[in-house]
Amino acid sequence: MQLEPEGASPTSASTATSTSALRERLSTAALALLLAPAAAMADSAATTQVDYTTLFYGEQSRTQVFEPIVRATRLFGDGQSISAQLGLDVITGASPSGALPSGNVQTMTTPSGRLVTIPAGGIPTTKFEDHRFGLDGEWQKPWGKLVTSTVGFHASREKDYQSLGLNAKLSAELMQKRLTVSVGGGYSDDSVFPTGGTPIGLSDGSEVSNHANAKRVSSVLFGVSRVMTRRWLLALDGTRTFENGYLTEPYKVISLTNPFNGEPTGDVLTDNRPSTRTRSSALLSSVYHLPHDIVYASYRYYWDTWGIRSNTVDLKYRYDLEDDWYLEPHVRFYHQTAADFFTVGLSSFLAPPEFATSDYRLGQLSTITIGTSFAFRFGDNPSLWTLRAEYIRQSGDSSPPSAVGEERNFNLSPTINTFTAVIGYSFNF
Amino acid sequence: MAHSVSSAASPPGSGPTLDRVEDYFVGSFEAMASPCTVLVDGDDRDEAAALVEIAAREARRIEQKFSRYRTDNLIHAINHAAGRPVEVDEETAQLLNYAATCWELSGGLFDITSGVLRRVWKFDGGTHVPGKKAIEKCLAHVGWGRVTWQDRTLSMPVGMEIDLGGIGKEYAVDRTAGLLAAQTTKSFLVNFGGDLFAGGLRRGNRTWGVGIDDPTRTGQAALYRLDIARAGLATSGDARRCVQWRGKRLGHILNPKTGWPVAGAPRSVTVVAPTCLEAGTISTLAYLQGPGARAFLEQQNVQFWIL
Repeated sequence: MQLEPEGASPTSASTATSTSALRERLSTAALALLLAPAAAMADSAATTQVDYTTLFYGEQSRTQVFEPIVRATRLFGDGQSISAQLGLDVITGASPSGALPSGNVQTMTTPSGRLVTIPAGGIPTTKFEDHRFGLDGEWQKPWGKLVTSTVGFHASREKDYQSLGLNAKLSAELMQKRLTVSVGGGYSDDSVFPTGGTPIGLSDGSEVSNHANAKRVSSVLFGVSRVMTRRWLLALDGTRTFENGYLTEPYKVISLTNPFNGEPTGDVLTDNRPSTRTRSSALLSSVYHLPHDIVYASYRYYWDTWGIRSNTVDLKYRYDLEDDWYLEPHVRFYHQTAADFFTVGLSSFLAPPEFATSDYRLGQLSTITIGTSFAFRFGDNPSLWTLRAEYIRQSGDSSPPSAVGEERNFNLSPTINTFTAVIGYSFNF
Repeated sequence: MAHSVSSAASPPGSGPTLDRVEDYFVGSFEAMASPCTVLVDGDDRDEAAALVEIAAREARRIEQKFSRYRTDNLIHAINHAAGRPVEVDEETAQLLNYAATCWELSGGLFDITSGVLRRVWKFDGGTHVPGKKAIEKCLAHVGWGRVTWQDRTLSMPVGMEIDLGGIGKEYAVDRTAGLLAAQTTKSFLVNFGGDLFAGGLRRGNRTWGVGIDDPTRTGQAALYRLDIARAGLATSGDARRCVQWRGKRLGHILNPKTGWPVAGAPRSVTVVAPTCLEAGTISTLAYLQGPGARAFLEQQNVQFWIL
């Protein structure tokens, strides 16, 4: 079926007797809009976004963290943005000291000189309480249509640690914006001043020095992201971080053991780590847009000069509900190998090695994280709320090869269950 | 108003494709949740590719800037201002001025604040119709008349939203056509999801032939064909998105006064006008008249097709 047009034909339009008042006004309005100078189009008004989040982190009968963060971002019409973030961490609880459990009751000295008693078979821990204040700032600026620079700084302070740093990044879009290449670097000047002084490494801890210990961290990064298809974005990022200075954990200790039965002698030596560490990582990440939902997948390989290798697989699926509402389940697998100088204890018969640690965080470790995020609004209120809950199950090598004698009877790395909850709230003005 | 101006999860921008058809080039890309094509007359592939790239960039710029589904633009800031006044840039101000004129000319039927009603109406071809209370609750947040718009500053009561989807695509077509005309003397046709603008006669004094699909049988043989040289064309209708109610089919275009879909309107209204924006506005205004669509169009001195 073919229909003939109705109304005036285009040729007769110009000679038509009269044009309705409505059409005339519409024409005028359309021309005013379409003939608005293109130059005036580039600028758009600035907006400010404020994000507030609070994180609660709790390890079963160990560390608890309460971390409120507020971030304000000012977006300018020309693509520039400036943001500032203020954060506070309140950490309380207890963390394993590194000493071994024993069949007998043990007595230990805390960093502040207090004596504590550890029941037979219990993992010795150090109680602590700390506050951390942090301030971060970032300035992002586009240079022309293809290049964007980002510079930032951070400053943080806690009871025994201070960090001041700068970072910069340059990104360029190539191949009609299908390829983005980024290079960047950062430098941080840190200082460690342990409570009760800095103990000498692999000593009984009785001799301390009272000056602050320097730690310098510099890093470089390189990233490429590529639009593979209309729906698929793939990115590869590499980082290398060079640390040097005081990298030891001053409150951690290593038990001395009787080499015949593995029983702790009751004496401990302080932790001692190399003064340099080069850390490298490669991250491959993919974002795939389904007609409604988004699938995120990433794999990270990490290695460092202390002998730790780790693999991380992270998967997220974002179900878009109505408007800005979404549900995003999340699962993550992590595994690391132990540092070369990790040991559960040191033989009281032998001279200690150059470096040693019993810090479980440098031992073999696996974690599984399962969680979900949910974003929503209350009725007509324009602010967006996000809730995130995660369960983290961390397990180490409960009976590592370096355990001898009695130590084989104890679970040296009990599974730790951790829960985190994050409440976020953001609004624009 | 035939299609919405944006998509919920727009994929990362990918480059347009370019094909040779007969004696012209066809550039294709996706933007504003619609298939977009740009036809360029002539034999210079590099020039055609450059023009298509300009068109794709402009379409995505407008989508990014005016989509109500994004969270990083001024529309989001306006819709989440919680009653505070928001100062807008020149381009947004011009679009709001245009929308205000349309609201006034239509006696309040064309209203960029009516999108709030989509929270209760689901045009998925099903039979669910929202209750009276739900509609009334939405209508409390609808009405350009409740908005304060002066000195480039917009203040809306809490709970209200604006959506420029009703004019955004047509505006993008004309803006793109303007950019292309400044770049080339070749004839071209910009078509963003069925809203289009033809930029001049082709070589040999030929026109561009445009086929308009039967709205009920998309993708099949064109129902009517027209030849245009330099004009805009747009269609308003309820082709795909509707709801069934008491044996009647209700289209997705809502009357902001009643909160219900416009009743008794034609299935589709196609209008040819000097610009795509005018064609789109006239076809939408006609549709909003319901049974009075034809009478309205006859007064407007435009070429139109009604189904």
